[in-house]
Amino acid sequence: MSSRSLLLLAEVVIGLSCLVLALVIVGARLHRVRATRRTTRMVAPHRPMLLAVASGEDAEGSARAHLASLPSATWEHVRSTAVVMLAKVRGAPAETLVALLHAHAEVERALGWLRSRSAVRRARAAYLLGLLHDPANVPALVPLLSDPSPDVRLVAARSLGLIGDPAAAGAVLSAVPPRDGRMGIPAWVAAEALLGMGLGVAPVLRGALASADAGVRDVAVTVAGAGAFTSVLPQLRVLLDHDPLPEVRTGAAVALGRLGGPRDVAALIRCTAPSSPTTLRRTCVGALGELGDPSAVPALTALLDEPDRRLAELAAEALVRVGTAGAEVLLRCVGSTGPAGTVARGALDMARLRGQMPAASR
Amino acid sequence: MTATSQDRILVADDDGDIRDLVVFKLTQAGYDVEAVQDGAAAFHSIEASPPRLAILDVMMPGLSGIDVLRKVRADERLKDLEVILLTAKSRDIDVDAGFATGASDYVIKPFSPRELLHRVNALVARTGV
Repeated sequence: MSSRSLLLLAEVVIGLSCLVLALVIVGARLHRVRATRRTTRMVAPHRPMLLAVASGEDAEGSARAHLASLPSATWEHVRSTAVVMLAKVRGAPAETLVALLHAHAEVERALGWLRSRSAVRRARAAYLLGLLHDPANVPALVPLLSDPSPDVRLVAARSLGLIGDPAAAGAVLSAVPPRDGRMGIPAWVAAEALLGMGLGVAPVLRGALASADAGVRDVAVTVAGAGAFTSVLPQLRVLLDHDPLPEVRTGAAVALGRLGGPRDVAALIRCTAPSSPTTLRRTCVGALGELGDPSAVPALTALLDEPDRRLAELAAEALVRVGTAGAEVLLRCVGSTGPAGTVARGALDMARLRGQMPAASR
Repeated sequence: MTATSQDRILVADDDGDIRDLVVFKLTQAGYDVEAVQDGAAAFHSIEASPPRLAILDVMMPGLSGIDVLRKVRADERLKDLEVILLTAKSRDIDVDAGFATGASDYVIKPFSPRELLHRVNALVARTGV
């Protein structure tokens, strides 16, 4: 066979393969569309009852009774809408929807699905158990934090956050570092989950701030700042000065800006030195503005001439936030033709637009 | 408080379940409710016939709820319209941005339909007939 014939044959094979692939994709999409239409058709007669339950307009309980008595073949189509509604409402309607799911043994089914070979099923089950907000399901969800599927691990962490039981905080933090060649759960997912657990995570947080794992410390400083955990302020101060990871120091600076006080100004100013990483410098300047302590004014003023234009802008914004003393510095700089004058004018214009100018400086 | 048919409320949300839920709740309370699924349709409806109150999702395709609110507040004829933002954006900075743009109220999803109705009633009562 000549090379030309071989080329032609290869082109035909590739063309047929593409055609088969296109047909498979179209077929799968058609199947999905038909399945969705069928579900919509099956749900339609019961949707007003679902809406009545989910909106809290079922005072007599007739809609709930109707939905609870649906045969399992019909419920199979209705259940996904019930779960979707449960994710969107809170209060008494959510409690009624949970009762409805219990009536159809959905909780038992979800607990069974946690051991399914399908990662999609395990994730769906974990999601549903989170929506129920029942601490009794925490022990069933915790093992999923080491599930082979990263998606399942992520859903399990989010569900534990939704349930909000601080007893799961340690397990969530343990799932942050990579383990056995698998990546850990994303830091923001772990942080959100811990924040969902409230102030009860404080003891675990203290341990996490001293963890040997930088990822765990990173999550812990984020949670400490966002959750107003003032009891860990001494640890945050140590981390700002000494943590080997710039991200952790940056997180500590954010937290100190939110939770700290005048005694933290000096440490934050130290970290604005040119020898510090750029992100840390900028974050510390923002934290100084957040604290709003006038003792930071000289250091912030010196930064208005910084070659890092963004840092200079942040310093000017921080001066506005400090109040009258900071605004007066900016007003004095306005006439300057150098970089300090430019950032001062920008910050003052923004402050006027936002109505943030200190009264004494208007 | 009893709603009257003059109390037309516009609901804009690209999530059909939320839209149906809010429409159901408000209709049961006696309000005349119009529902649209994006920001452009919401502003078009508000411009054509200003409702008594608008409930806007923030994250919608095209014009966001914040965009619609901004356009409403910039329009001399519409600037006094009561607008509730109904959104999953729950951070303080999001709430601040909503009120800074001129929202009359801000409701975070997942939400209590009962609480939303109370807020609607309060705003409608505030504006009078």
